[in-house]
Amino acid sequence: MRTINFTLNGEQVSAHVAEHQSIVEILRDRFDLFGARESCAQGLCGCCTVLVDGTAVSGCLYLAAFANGKSITTVEGLATNGKLTPIQEAFLEVGASQCGFCTPGFVLMAGQLLEAHPDPDDDDIRHYLSGNLCRCAAYPEIIAAVKLAAGRLKAGTT
Amino acid sequence: MTPFELAEPKTLKEAVALLDADDPTIRPIAGGTALMLMMKAGVFRPSKLVSLSAIKDMSSIETVNGELKVGATTPLAVLERSDVVRKHAGVIIKTLRTLSNIRVRNVATVGGALAHADPHMDLPPVLIALGARVVVQGKSGERAIPVADLFAGYFETVLVKDELISSLIVPAQNGRRAAYLKCTTRAVHDWPALGVAVSVAADGNAIKDASIVVSAATEKPGRLVGAEKAAQGTVDDAGWRRAGEAAAEEAELITDGQGSAAYKKELVRVYVARALRAALGAQ
Repeated sequence: MRTINFTLNGEQVSAHVAEHQSIVEILRDRFDLFGARESCAQGLCGCCTVLVDGTAVSGCLYLAAFANGKSITTVEGLATNGKLTPIQEAFLEVGASQCGFCTPGFVLMAGQLLEAHPDPDDDDIRHYLSGNLCRCAAYPEIIAAVKLAAGRLKAGTT
Repeated sequence: MTPFELAEPKTLKEAVALLDADDPTIRPIAGGTALMLMMKAGVFRPSKLVSLSAIKDMSSIETVNGELKVGATTPLAVLERSDVVRKHAGVIIKTLRTLSNIRVRNVATVGGALAHADPHMDLPPVLIALGARVVVQGKSGERAIPVADLFAGYFETVLVKDELISSLIVPAQNGRRAAYLKCTTRAVHDWPALGVAVSVAADGNAIKDASIVVSAATEKPGRLVGAEKAAQGTVDDAGWRRAGEAAAEEAELITDGQGSAAYKKELVRVYVARALRAALGAQ
């Protein structure tokens, strides 16, 4: 066992973890953050997506011990003062989820996409989201939501 | 996963010292994406993992004497965005864009992609075709191993258990053109049934020399010397198809969840010709 210190959604936290525990286990068991969830357990479905120092990783394949000294962001850390991000608003408005299980991962990966490609074409969107699976197959709505958010973010910055 | 110890050495030397040539339950871990799967499945139950993340000078990309040198713990995503890599061997960038997904590439490392020795991985065949080698650090010093000689079998390398890959070196390509094609069978995991990497020295469409490598369909990635000979001197589709036929005869194919050996034989025949065409940029 060891103590890790890290920034979690902007707050300094620490946790006593076993070496073999993944970050998604710790987020759920110790911090009651349930947005990242382990689904396929193999890094291919995207449901466990979290950001480490601003970069998306599969939380189910990332040892909690490796989070020491880093900054972790989950879907719960995106809204500021209760105000959702433009991407989250767009997902709501378009209805880009049915059961919602995969939505946190899609929202986080959409954020990574729009940071790198503020004006993404269909190929960019598919490339960034190809590692996220939606069992309800809400893909057309998800892509529409990403485009809506991209348009609004762009309009907001110009 | 079963509990294990985790060591976090600060230097390559310390890391090598923590490994044990006679103890296979002690292993290095870099990004860990592949190792985590093996541990979760219970296939690998380590007593100790030696993390390479805290070793500072192992993540770098530079050109040395015309060769591309990549530190072993460089994340695949960093490689994918490197202009140095793009100029040196653009096929690496193209290959990485189809390798797993962005999250895995953000974490998985170059050294891990080689040391893991899963024959379905995308980078090994490409690096063999490019004539790359790895520099390996052991307790008594370092040695260079061509990537073509690194793999001993299914998930097996020629590395001793107390050796670590410290860097990858891709020689100057001197105008050679390369391509990598893979065939996935639309299974949920998306692992390929076949990977084909080729590198050619050619005058227009006339192939002077070809390096042809198959992976995924075989126990380990490797060159097909007979097919390379068949490709030599070819100038058109008929010639590239003959190289494909030769490859299909030569490759030692295995039956697994991605398809039967007979099915993969047909894939090899078609994909080798396609890969040569793609490398040449022919229509």
